[in-house]
Amino acid sequence: MKTDDLIDALARGAGPAERSHWRRNLAITLLAGLIAAAALVAIGLEVRPDIGAARMPIMFKAMFAAAAAAIVLPLTVQLMKPGRPLGWRIGAILLFLGLCALATIVALMGEMPERRWEAWMGGAMPWCVVLIPLLAAPAAVLLTLLMRAFAPTRLTLAGAAIGALSGGVGAMAYAMYCPVDSVAFVTTWYALGIAVSAALGAVLVSRFLRW
Amino acid sequence: MADEAALKALLLQGLAGDDAAHRAFLTEAAAMLRAYFRNRLRGRAEDAEDLVQETLVALHTRRDSYDANYPLTAWLYAIARYRLIDFLRRAKHRAHASLDGIDVGEVDPEYGASDAKRDIGVLLGKLPEKQRTAIRMVKLEEKSVRETAEATGLTESDIKISIHRGLKTLMRLMAGEQTT
Repeated sequence: MKTDDLIDALARGAGPAERSHWRRNLAITLLAGLIAAAALVAIGLEVRPDIGAARMPIMFKAMFAAAAAAIVLPLTVQLMKPGRPLGWRIGAILLFLGLCALATIVALMGEMPERRWEAWMGGAMPWCVVLIPLLAAPAAVLLTLLMRAFAPTRLTLAGAAIGALSGGVGAMAYAMYCPVDSVAFVTTWYALGIAVSAALGAVLVSRFLRW
Repeated sequence: MADEAALKALLLQGLAGDDAAHRAFLTEAAAMLRAYFRNRLRGRAEDAEDLVQETLVALHTRRDSYDANYPLTAWLYAIARYRLIDFLRRAKHRAHASLDGIDVGEVDPEYGASDAKRDIGVLLGKLPEKQRTAIRMVKLEEKSVRETAEATGLTESDIKISIHRGLKTLMRLMAGEQTT
């Protein structure tokens, strides 16, 4: 087929473009990912038994995770569509990471020197680095399906953004299980868990974004 | 060649339902894409034309991903660049479509449409029947969406969705056929 004939065929009866409800779809996707992650926590990990007494630290951790997701969201939206500038959206993420480092140091300075190690490591292996990416998986799958309907052109970055956003969602659910309430623990290992999700997204998710 | 503002106006009119404006947009875009791909695939005019066609289908099926707040050319070339990278990745993957043959020295000032290597008609045959019928009747036989709906017993929105999905699949088939 000649290119001119193709153009005729494409334009013929094209009509108005469908209005895309991407905001609504994105909100539904994130909510579904959060519910799925919370269900995984309830089934596989068990919600911590003192959830009533510990609701303040749980809220703090969930808010931290939600903030991380909110910081990554504008970048993810830009990467869904071709040729969008990224600019400050990457800067915002770097600033957030800087604040995490600062908060970690300040929180650890506030602890007695002999307790610092425990406050930082949570007294055991920080499993959240493994569990947050696992809990991020449902949101990552749903976000990948959503993004495939658009036209991402920077696939590695888009995959990383999906990974980080899902990591934030997974960490919100993980807060219901996580038994460690120290601030320095959260600002270090939650952030790292989300970063691991982003790295996995860059490698794995990007493959499924090709169109 | 139209400038940014003129091209943007055409695309936006097309998005609002003006088929003639959409056609004019695609025609202008084809010329820009041809120059873009020819410059990067010197001496491989047929591959370049394949990419022009593939990218035109991509621009058409993904046109709702354009936001009027951003520059149109950035959007257009981001898609063109992505199609080119995808093409080069496939070429590398298939090894036998060596990139050694690219003749960087050749100057090709004409940029008229040359024949594409692939035959879209054959690719259409690979689509599911519903999508194939919808595309054939509306896009090739110049029937209206309503006529097609009446002839096939499907609803009009069903026809539109079939065309849209079919064209998206067609672009993937076009990409898959290249460099064979």
